[in-house]
Amino acid sequence: MSKCTLKDLQFWDDQIVELGKKRQLDWYEIAYETCDYHEMLGAMAYHGMPTHYNHWSYGKSFEQQHTHYQLGMTGLPYELIINSDPCIAYLMLENPMYLQILIMAHCVGHSDFFKNNRNFAFTRADTVVPRMRHAKKRINSYIEDPNIGIERVESLIDACHAISYQVPRYPMDIPNLEENYEIFRQKNLQSLKKNKLDLKDLPYEPEYDILGFCAEFGPDLDDWERDVIQIVRDEAYYFMPQIRTKIMNEGWACLQHYNILNELDLPQEYHIPFLKSHNQVVRPHVGRINPYHLGFHLFQKIVERHGYEEALLAREVHNDESFIRQYLTREDCEELNLFSFSAKDHGQYEVDDVSDNQGWEEVKEVLIGQIGANSIPTIYVDGVSRRNELVLHHEYDGRELELQYARQVMGHIERIWGHDVTLITIIDDAPYEL
Amino acid sequence: MGSVFSHHRTNADRSARDRSRHKQKIEKALKDGIHDIVADESIIGQDGKKKIRIPVKGIKEYKFVYGKNQQPQAGSGGDADVQRGQKIGQKKKKGQGQGKPNKAGDKPGEEYYDVEVTLEELAEYLFKDLELPDLEQKALKEIIAEKFKRKGYRSDGIRPRLSKKESAKQRIKRKMAARKQGKIKIDPETGEEIFPFIEQDLRYKHIAVTKKPVSSACIFFIMDVSGSMTQNKKYLARSFFFLLYQFIRSRYEKTEIVFVAHDTQPYEVDEEKFFGRGTGGGTKVSPTIEYVIEQANKRYNPNSWNLYAFHCSDGDNWSSDMEKTIQQNEILKSMCQLYGYCEITPHDEIRWAGSTALSEAYEVLEDKSFKVGHIHEKSDVWKCFKTFFGSKISLEK
Repeated sequence: MSKCTLKDLQFWDDQIVELGKKRQLDWYEIAYETCDYHEMLGAMAYHGMPTHYNHWSYGKSFEQQHTHYQLGMTGLPYELIINSDPCIAYLMLENPMYLQILIMAHCVGHSDFFKNNRNFAFTRADTVVPRMRHAKKRINSYIEDPNIGIERVESLIDACHAISYQVPRYPMDIPNLEENYEIFRQKNLQSLKKNKLDLKDLPYEPEYDILGFCAEFGPDLDDWERDVIQIVRDEAYYFMPQIRTKIMNEGWACLQHYNILNELDLPQEYHIPFLKSHNQVVRPHVGRINPYHLGFHLFQKIVERHGYEEALLAREVHNDESFIRQYLTREDCEELNLFSFSAKDHGQYEVDDVSDNQGWEEVKEVLIGQIGANSIPTIYVDGVSRRNELVLHHEYDGRELELQYARQVMGHIERIWGHDVTLITIIDDAPYEL
Repeated sequence: MGSVFSHHRTNADRSARDRSRHKQKIEKALKDGIHDIVADESIIGQDGKKKIRIPVKGIKEYKFVYGKNQQPQAGSGGDADVQRGQKIGQKKKKGQGQGKPNKAGDKPGEEYYDVEVTLEELAEYLFKDLELPDLEQKALKEIIAEKFKRKGYRSDGIRPRLSKKESAKQRIKRKMAARKQGKIKIDPETGEEIFPFIEQDLRYKHIAVTKKPVSSACIFFIMDVSGSMTQNKKYLARSFFFLLYQFIRSRYEKTEIVFVAHDTQPYEVDEEKFFGRGTGGGTKVSPTIEYVIEQANKRYNPNSWNLYAFHCSDGDNWSSDMEKTIQQNEILKSMCQLYGYCEITPHDEIRWAGSTALSEAYEVLEDKSFKVGHIHEKSDVWKCFKTFFGSKISLEK
């Protein structure tokens, strides 16, 4: 395998860029950084962010990935690209040239998706890198502050991470809750009969932004604590669109790299390994859902059935859930050999439904229930009691919370809120209070 | 619009700090979960450098997740032919065998790391934060022995300690001085100088008596292997002995171990037999204590060895033997730095009704050098250990 030089990369990139434009892609400029295996793993541990605040969990993530690769449990990392303007992508120098070409074309697909998909409209890609840098600086300053120190900062970040997925899921700019509530109060002066915001009335409507609510209304928080919570919250808002579009994002990038590489005049010694790698990436994972596989399949079908224009439109307006609802047909379910299964007594897994005439719709529903953010329980702030107790509700959809985990998380929320926290959910079809 | 290429600006090893923080947390977890670990390793026969791989439960990051009543999941069948009702594998079972937590449980995402540590490091983790104030000093008091050591030369001494070299040096010094003064006689026949040794030339090696603490310990591990000692009890005993061994070993230069198993009779055995020994028979404690006293006197003189004795039992003893046992224990206690008795009574195993537990009978003996501890379950092992060596905990009791 030949090592590649920047000149080689540039040569292929020029052609990829041309083809990308021909395919009506419009993407953030990509800044590729070449790195070695260790740097790649290092970048991966921090979600690819060039700078990121420190926390032990990223060390853990590094160790885990390192172990996995050493044991050969996962293939080498192919691509790593972040939603920023310009996009930062990493190319591992150990990779052979054909793979670099594939990755670059793939990255063009991702970058185009970041720029055009409506879910990313509020991620402020142009400022994410400096935002992360400032966050790191601030958190470092709290760690070094003799009145605060690493233990307290760390335990607060632990707590925030525990509920970092508990932010609104639909695309929205990170709101100032206090202002929003004030506007709401002004509009509803008559029914509320209060002349200023009262914590006991809040939130006026279910508030899905638990971190935001705590940061703004947590009764006894210090300024540094509010800031740390806001830092984690900001990142949660930033990553939520990626969680909600994993299948589309990967599918779109695969569609682009597949077509671009086929159109590129690849020498024979690149073409065969490229096909091999491509098939490796989009192969089905038996018993699971491979987002690359599903996304690639669907986008190909859209192009086939409705034309490329439709695919361009789909990548703009959908998220995984709506995408699958709209485009996954019975034929697809059958072709992808999708089935649903569940654990029966004695922990034995059994197939419930297969993608035939009677079963495919059920299978599709099950699939939708587990993709994007749907695999994360939805919890919202319902109110604050007189004793400053935070009351949370779980939106029960037939799936119960894992209580052992929930109890631990409750401890974390109490750490953030600073007072008692109650969570109401449903266990065994009856209300259950934690 | 082309892309920009550059080499990644390496900011050293950026995750180093977070990794070391993570490592600290793992070490803590390792220490907290130690009783799960110790039972699997052979107590001795390890030189302390041997690496053991220890599965440590990951430092969990909790989030809200869906739990038990898992709704169906969807998956792709690949090329396989999938039928309704087809059985497709088993959910991982929880509750693996003791000491084998390296298989994931069925809780969502149980994480395990293999942490490789040496026994020495393990002991270090174990004892690093253990607060052992006053009691440790007493329990681990060192015996002072007189040692003879050469220390310089003196002009007086006994013949056997004569130092020829030093004496010769003295003569040479004197000879030089005499030559300057021209006082050396010349033998008229041979023309050689005559200069014999005199009394003042002689130098003797001096031996000083120094006091040095003895740094060797002998541990008697005594365990009841009678019929009532179940596998579970022995497992707990083993974990406990392991801790004791590691701790004492880390405090002395040399540590020897004697394993004494007993039912109605004592048997001195090796480690393997000690823990593997088949159980059977009744229980009589006094012959064993007698045996230990005898062996200690014969082989490990209490004046030059730090003696420790630890007895693990489920508390059964013949009631007629009780009096004698107490007497013998008084003697053994006086010989030992620390004599510990640990009663192992798992919650789920009921004791024979009507018999007096040794721990109750031993209450009269309890003092600084005699400790009684109780182990009901795995997590008590560490607590019991602290009862023996840390004063804080024992005061609470």
